[in-house]
Amino acid sequence: MITCGIDVGSVSAEAVLLDRSDGKFEISAYVIAPTGGDSQEAAKNVFEKALLKSGFSREMISSIVATGYGRLNIPFATKNITEISCHARGVVNFFPDTKTVIDIGGQDSKVIKLDSKGNPIDFLMNDKCAAGTGRFLEVMAKALDIELTDFAGIFNATHEKVDISSTCTVFAESEIVSLIGHGVEKNRIVKGLVYSITNRIISMVERIGLEEPVCMTGGVAKNTAVVKALEEILDIKINVPMEPQITGALGAALLG
Amino acid sequence: MGIADKIKEGLKTNIRNNLDKENIKKILNVISAGPVLSACGATFASKSDKYLNIYSIKSLQRAYSRKYPVAYGSLFLPYELFHALGISPFLPEVIGGFTGGMGLADRTLKEAASRWYTPDLCTFHRSASGAVEMGLFPEPDFIICANVACDAAQKTFYIDAKKFGIEDKYYLIDVPYKNSPKAVSLLAMQLESISSDIAAKLGKKLDPDYFAAIINCSNEFRDWAIKVNDLRKELLFYPKNFNGLNFILPFHGLAGTKEAANLYKNIYLELKEFLEVQNGIISGNKKYKAGNVYKGKTIPSAQKLKDTRKILWMHLKPYYKNNLFTMLEENNYTVVFEEISNVYWPRLDPEKPFEALAIKMLSNPLNGSIENRVNAILKIAAEYGIDGAILFAHWGCRHSNGGARILKDSLKNIDIPLLILDGDCLNKNNSSEGQLSTRLQGFIEIVDCRV
Repeated sequence: MITCGIDVGSVSAEAVLLDRSDGKFEISAYVIAPTGGDSQEAAKNVFEKALLKSGFSREMISSIVATGYGRLNIPFATKNITEISCHARGVVNFFPDTKTVIDIGGQDSKVIKLDSKGNPIDFLMNDKCAAGTGRFLEVMAKALDIELTDFAGIFNATHEKVDISSTCTVFAESEIVSLIGHGVEKNRIVKGLVYSITNRIISMVERIGLEEPVCMTGGVAKNTAVVKALEEILDIKINVPMEPQITGALGAALLG
Repeated sequence: MGIADKIKEGLKTNIRNNLDKENIKKILNVISAGPVLSACGATFASKSDKYLNIYSIKSLQRAYSRKYPVAYGSLFLPYELFHALGISPFLPEVIGGFTGGMGLADRTLKEAASRWYTPDLCTFHRSASGAVEMGLFPEPDFIICANVACDAAQKTFYIDAKKFGIEDKYYLIDVPYKNSPKAVSLLAMQLESISSDIAAKLGKKLDPDYFAAIINCSNEFRDWAIKVNDLRKELLFYPKNFNGLNFILPFHGLAGTKEAANLYKNIYLELKEFLEVQNGIISGNKKYKAGNVYKGKTIPSAQKLKDTRKILWMHLKPYYKNNLFTMLEENNYTVVFEEISNVYWPRLDPEKPFEALAIKMLSNPLNGSIENRVNAILKIAAEYGIDGAILFAHWGCRHSNGGARILKDSLKNIDIPLLILDGDCLNKNNSSEGQLSTRLQGFIEIVDCRV
């Protein structure tokens, strides 16, 4: 049996093809691509690319489970499941004992609590605001003219941070422009930004009740600066899958 | 879309396109006329829907007609007093809620914003204030409010009183925080004093026999409402479009009228009929074959009924078009009870009407400590055997949202998950449809997984 999971987020879309035939359990192919302006097209694109990569034909796929904010808009999906259940399922595949999942995607961030069997039992999501999401970091990186991939190096090398008081992405951007104008070192601003996003996530983690082991997923989990800041403040070790961005799609494929 | 729905849509469009008080009054006069109402009545999805609409329209028409004194009233007042005094109640918060369903909230909220009403204020009050500023509501003779649960009415209603130049006819009922014999006596005295003052201003006296008759009507309404609630402990197969969150106007504003008693009697009879059908489905009666339609509602299989998940809905709902209830239904979830349907007060003593109404107000679980609300919710949760609860956390509603955490923890202690759904009941621009449906679907998946 070959199942497919497609996760269409606001920034990127992912497809995972999972070969579960003859007792196997193998990620045959995965694709990550920008969502762009057309979520339906993005879903089709990652699905077709994953098929091409794996060598499977469309007919060989027994189920296609859609997840992410674009999940209701994928006509060829056989089922749709929220990213809450999919991330939970995906995480358990990598780290079976996980009790708390922190998922930070492009548009939303969520904290999911799991029971001893890996089932989601509660969750929290950010409100209608980009602060505390990958989009926040993207906008700020652009304002600072720094690559997101450079954040980790800067974070590790900088000791002092500057406090970013605005919680709103738009106001925080203005604040950064103002800080640059006042000659504040960019490295300190980067460090402050990382703590700013981290503090929002921590308040969600604390609301739901921190329970270890903790796993982080979503595109922002690739930003080791954020992971490190979370580990430092929560005083815990956070597990991150090899490719955190495909956790939702993998979970979807597993639930298919 | 049925004929009644088409008529409703046509009227909404007419009101939206010709937004002024005289047009609203004209429309209410036309649709509340006997023949039109009875003709339309036959086209409603259910009896409950029919009586709800007819009595709500008649109540509004009466207030807009200005043939009787009109009093604005906040929620949770003892409206029996209004009816005993021959005053037409008009509930700005509830009618403010209608602006959401009518697609008018954008305009009323914009008007309120331009008059310095802060966006932080609950949209029920803001929309009502905007409508008052736009001259869309009937002019009041009196304004009465209480400090039960929500305090926005006290302030916004006073602004209304000043606008209409009736500060001397603005009454604030100060309901004691704790329920005690002394509190009952203090509150009863206030109610009596306010009634005497209003009666004097109207140049009449409160007729004790008529007041007792109103109290008896209120008891009759209460008895039927309790019968409805008891029946709902078993009911899973509901009439088409039935939503207990739609009955807030008659539940409060019409308490003490024959209409409220009749409405709840009809709801009871209709739900009883549906319960009989449900029992028929479960016992395998071939008359009720799954997939067939009974009074506009698709008949479920016995297994589907057995698998239905029961939900308790707390606080209110979005009144603009949304897919929350469709999503619940599609996933075989039924709202078996709503917090606002709770009959929390004892039978009223017609011999001691002021005391009885004071007891009614003080029995409200939303008055006083959050423990009162928690205890009421836990009792309902046990009686209805719910699988989960949803609290719609309406923007700006301090009294409800302030207790969200303790409600979540209390329900968790009895192993019932609570979804706190942040949104706005009126302002669709302050609610993200995608986020609401993801949260609800996520919650459904969690409950399914548990069951």
